[in-house]
Amino acid sequence: MLGILAICQRAYLTLWRQPVLIISTMLFPLVYMLILGNALNRQLRHIPVAVVDEADNAFSAACRTRVMALESGRGLVTVVFVADRESALQDLRRGLYRGVWILPFRLAPRGPAPAFIGDNTERFSYETLESALSQIWQEVSRGRGQESVATAVQLEAYPYLDYLSYLGPAVVCLSIFMGSMVSGGLQVIEDRMYGYHEGYLVTPISTGTLVAGHILAGSVVASLAGVLVLFAILLLTPGPAASPWSIAAATATVFLTALAISSVWFLLFARARHASVLRGMFGIINALLFFPSGALYPIESYPRWLRAISDVDPLTYGLEALRDLLLRGAPAQTAYPRWVFLASFTLVCGVLTKVLFRREI
Amino acid sequence: MERGFLEPMNDLLYGSMNRWIDESQDLPPSLEVDQLTKRFGDFVADDSVSFSVRPGEIYGLLGPNGAGKTTLIRMLTTLLPPTSGAARIRGHDIVREKGAVRSAIGTVSQAVTTDENLTVEENLSVQGKMYGLWGRQLSERIAQRLKQVDLLDRRKQLARHLSGGMRRRLEIARGVLHSPRVLFLDEPTTGLDPQSRRGVWDMLEELQDADAELSIILTTHAMDEADFLCDRVAILDRGRILCEGAPEALKRGLATGERAEIETDRPIHETEREAIEAIGAVNWRIMTPALVEFQSRPGEGIGRRAAQRLEEKGYRVLHLTIAPVTLEDVFFSYTGRALRES
Repeated sequence: MLGILAICQRAYLTLWRQPVLIISTMLFPLVYMLILGNALNRQLRHIPVAVVDEADNAFSAACRTRVMALESGRGLVTVVFVADRESALQDLRRGLYRGVWILPFRLAPRGPAPAFIGDNTERFSYETLESALSQIWQEVSRGRGQESVATAVQLEAYPYLDYLSYLGPAVVCLSIFMGSMVSGGLQVIEDRMYGYHEGYLVTPISTGTLVAGHILAGSVVASLAGVLVLFAILLLTPGPAASPWSIAAATATVFLTALAISSVWFLLFARARHASVLRGMFGIINALLFFPSGALYPIESYPRWLRAISDVDPLTYGLEALRDLLLRGAPAQTAYPRWVFLASFTLVCGVLTKVLFRREI
Repeated sequence: MERGFLEPMNDLLYGSMNRWIDESQDLPPSLEVDQLTKRFGDFVADDSVSFSVRPGEIYGLLGPNGAGKTTLIRMLTTLLPPTSGAARIRGHDIVREKGAVRSAIGTVSQAVTTDENLTVEENLSVQGKMYGLWGRQLSERIAQRLKQVDLLDRRKQLARHLSGGMRRRLEIARGVLHSPRVLFLDEPTTGLDPQSRRGVWDMLEELQDADAELSIILTTHAMDEADFLCDRVAILDRGRILCEGAPEALKRGLATGERAEIETDRPIHETEREAIEAIGAVNWRIMTPALVEFQSRPGEGIGRRAAQRLEEKGYRVLHLTIAPVTLEDVFFSYTGRALRES
């Protein structure tokens, strides 16, 4: 037990004396969240769209009014009225517009209907524009005095969340990943490179204690980074109000996730001797652990082989538990199965590391 | 009256010393190495090495770089498995009883293994916990060791801010923190300036004075270090022990106990060298055509006579040194080459 404490003490002090490392460990995920969260916020604004009104009748006037409302209201589009359909299409191909909406001659509910020609190189804007313009035509073509259609009931189970808030738990996981890499993976390799490890290899502490100590040391620092980022996110993002219990359960999730990720690093570097191994593997490990976890896109969209990776990825379980606790306000019990997985994963990695670990030079 | 007073004093003094020597020799060896061999593929780093070290003894493994000293130390400190042979530390087998061996030994490796980001005290605190030291016992032990290595006033200083000599002293303090029975030091003074080297030597002697049963095994390629510190040395070359014994005994064991170095104003002719050989000069080393070194029986004035002969032949002797042989000469006599050439 004292051996584990000694390894943790050293890891903590080493990191504390290198504040650049801990700041970058926490800063990187936060910057990541701010940049990525805002870049992928799904709130499209000012999509340039050309409207060609060839009909010039009451229906086309109604369409124009509603498109203008889209511009002045949600600010979804920036409308340019173009007289000539050919020049509008040419400008679309030159990238000036993301879509051209043609209101053809004799526009009427029974036809001819408006035509939408969109820039489908980027699906998200295309689908948003197409949907908004279709809705306008439906409203206009239904007309005044016609029998109204019953509106389908649509309710949101949770308060509105923007993408930035949705990204919060993923950012906590990213900080755990970074923290465990800096304090666990990197330190093990540095110890070997600089010969520090000789100092503890010749001590009477058992190999199991050495492995447990290193995993715990890596996870203590990673947890610290994860918890600090968690609190920063709770302050920064307008998510649903988290209860003290859910925050406590989230903190436990952070610790267990950190244990699992640290055990992965230590397993991978049980025999590595050079930092080049870490440099070479960082990208691969990042891709293998972070992206399949559902951090950025729902797991349900993954192909089967990616789902298989996701199923054994500890970040998936940490992330889901954090989302349940922080975004959905679920009780702590919902996280228990994920905690069991994370603890079991750590145990398996620890045992494998003990087998692979060479207590030799 | 005077004799009657001194005799009991002599008995007391020399009697107790002799008893200590006898008792030390009666104690089981701290370290027994038996035909220990390490191979890396076809390369034999250590070849059937055997020796033993008594409690309280400083034992030197002397040899050039690549002689197999560090590999031997790594095997003895459980960091490398031997290919064949056996070794026991305080009766514990280095392969089968690694835990007991690790508890009994302290190591000061050639590499710097203290963490530069930790203070002097923190480095020792971390190490102490690995040996089960805790609380007041740990802090008292840290203070004691830091005092011994003269770093007590630097206990709060980061290791990276220490000089090379201080860092080495910290390494040694860490190696002896848990009061090991056998201390291994791998090239403890490599890279240190003469003053720091002397400081480390003095400190090792003080450590042993404080713990009479502490056995120290050190590797070095510095002959003066082995000569100064070691009770016994083994000279290693290419993985084999060439000779073993007390430094003085090894030097005395040479038929040629005196070394002469002569420098002249011009190259010494072959005829003159043959003439000097004829009066008893052996083991010639020709540094330059005008600077030679040879060995001879001590007390026969062969060096001085050689210089006289050269002057008679018209040479001007610029420099003449006559000195007892060193361990370097012992190494030369066994290998036919100087340690620094190896």
